Amino acid sequence: MSAIVTPAPKRLRRSLGHNLRIAGGVIVSIVFLFPIYWMVLTSFKDQVDIFTSPPTFFFKPTLDAYIEYMTRADIVPRLINTIIVATGSGLLSIVVGTMAGYALARIRLRGAATIGVLILLSRGVPPIALAVPMFLVARNLGLTDKHITLILAYSTFLVPYVMWLMRSFFLSLPRELEESAMIDGCSRYGAFFKIIVPISIPGLLSTLIFSMILAWEELLFALVLTNRHASTIPVAIAGIAGDTVNGANWAALTAVGTITVVPVVIFALLVQKWLIKGLADGATKG
Amino acid sequence: MTSEKAQAGPNAAPRRRRRIGDLFVRWSFMAPSIVLLIALLAYPIFYTIDISFSRFDIATFGAGEWVGWENYREVMSDYRFWDSLEVTLIYLVIALPLQVVLGFGIAFLINAEWKGRGLVRALFIIPMVVAPVVAGGMWRMILDPLWGIMNYWLGFIGIGPLDWFGDPTLAMASIIIIDTWRWTPFIVLIATAALLALPKDVFEAARIDGANWWSTLWSVAVPLLVPVIAATFVIRWLGAVKMFDIVLAATYGGPGKATNVVNLFIYEEAFRSLRFAESAAMAVIVLILTMVLTGLFLRGSRKLEELF
Repeated sequence: MSAIVTPAPKRLRRSLGHNLRIAGGVIVSIVFLFPIYWMVLTSFKDQVDIFTSPPTFFFKPTLDAYIEYMTRADIVPRLINTIIVATGSGLLSIVVGTMAGYALARIRLRGAATIGVLILLSRGVPPIALAVPMFLVARNLGLTDKHITLILAYSTFLVPYVMWLMRSFFLSLPRELEESAMIDGCSRYGAFFKIIVPISIPGLLSTLIFSMILAWEELLFALVLTNRHASTIPVAIAGIAGDTVNGANWAALTAVGTITVVPVVIFALLVQKWLIKGLADGATKG
Repeated sequence: MTSEKAQAGPNAAPRRRRRIGDLFVRWSFMAPSIVLLIALLAYPIFYTIDISFSRFDIATFGAGEWVGWENYREVMSDYRFWDSLEVTLIYLVIALPLQVVLGFGIAFLINAEWKGRGLVRALFIIPMVVAPVVAGGMWRMILDPLWGIMNYWLGFIGIGPLDWFGDPTLAMASIIIIDTWRWTPFIVLIATAALLALPKDVFEAARIDGANWWSTLWSVAVPLLVPVIAATFVIRWLGAVKMFDIVLAATYGGPGKATNVVNLFIYEEAFRSLRFAESAAMAVIVLILTMVLTGLFLRGSRKLEELF
């Protein structure tokens, strides 16, 4: 009799544990998403609703903060700058970094292993060690406050990043692909551009998008290398957040913050499957 | 291309030419990034070293006369530099383990099989694409001592009101909270993939052998996960040593210098005080420290990988 009875509570206990896990996961997700929800919510409040105690969840929504900051405070030119710089550095890095990643994964090169380690180590270079000389050189060459300067500066961390991700991506492809192509008379370039690149499009696209996100949110180089014409959105946000003279302008902060975050979130969710795979591979297949 | 010449001349020369041609093709994949990284990564580092041994010349805005170790001596005796290193160390020692443990714990929770799993996992991407400077600004609002929603909620359980950015310890805590909020999801994603890759049969065997939940975790899951945990730690370390944006937006190093991480301190010294030579010396010290520790961590994680 006991043999029949025992499995039941065990299954019950397991399903209780399982349900607790699910509940825990949902609660943690809510905790992690709440700050963003609160920011978006606050961006639709007027001053009276922002500075009220207790904090309110129900109010008459207004677009005032958006209208004010999209027409003033040169947010729009900065948005355009950010798009130019993120696209430019993303494209440059994906082309250069993918070729190098392929070389590291597939082509026997003397010293390639050393280069690989150096590149991995380069990800530990503190950007401030680059920002000081870059600022001085750019200033002496008259290149400060130009898009191209920022694009090149961003490639210092994006190229190694792309290289590393694409290297592990190429390692996961079967070797026969380009071997058979090269036996059929394809050159190395032919095998790479006609066979490897087309089947890597999803991986390339997610790496490109993630590189662009990294460029989109970069602050230090943008602070140092630009001041007006090429200045980006993170600089504007740092300015608003750090404005201690006028006190925190939360309406501006949340409105500009929401504008900055929403497009990136949409992009990230579009490629989420690849993003997760790419990140995980990049981390585990080092 | 080489076939006609192969017929004409002796065999060795074209073959060598072909081999050189192939070598050229092979290196051409690597060359663009090498050129780019030498020009934009290696050269600036050497220029930083150059400046760090020179008197900075404001007139030419470049390295002036050679002064040897003078800048280094000055920096090493600057207590503010040591303070900023200490602040950075405290942040790293608390935030890194916290984020790795939380990340793997949360990954375990959200990996429970149910129909919402895919959605929950996708939602976890959102915090990690919020620009750190936005994260800093937004949490500054949430943690505001007067109007922030955090203190309002803490009031319900009898805590506070806490002066998050006015008290040195709490300011460090808030930096760590913000950083953990921003970066834990990144670890969750890596950990999720690692957990899914775990072999199922080992757990089945452990269950049949009558291992309880706790011993399964410690004797089966953790040893299998050690290499990934180590790799995750290294990756997170590489990001965390660059800590700048969140501090700049949330506390700007304050109150006093309680959250003045070394990157922010060097930034201020260079671009506010225009002490470029001293900043270069500090940047070189931080660079060397980071490289040495990164090398150690990489070797450590390789060792762990071999052990398990």
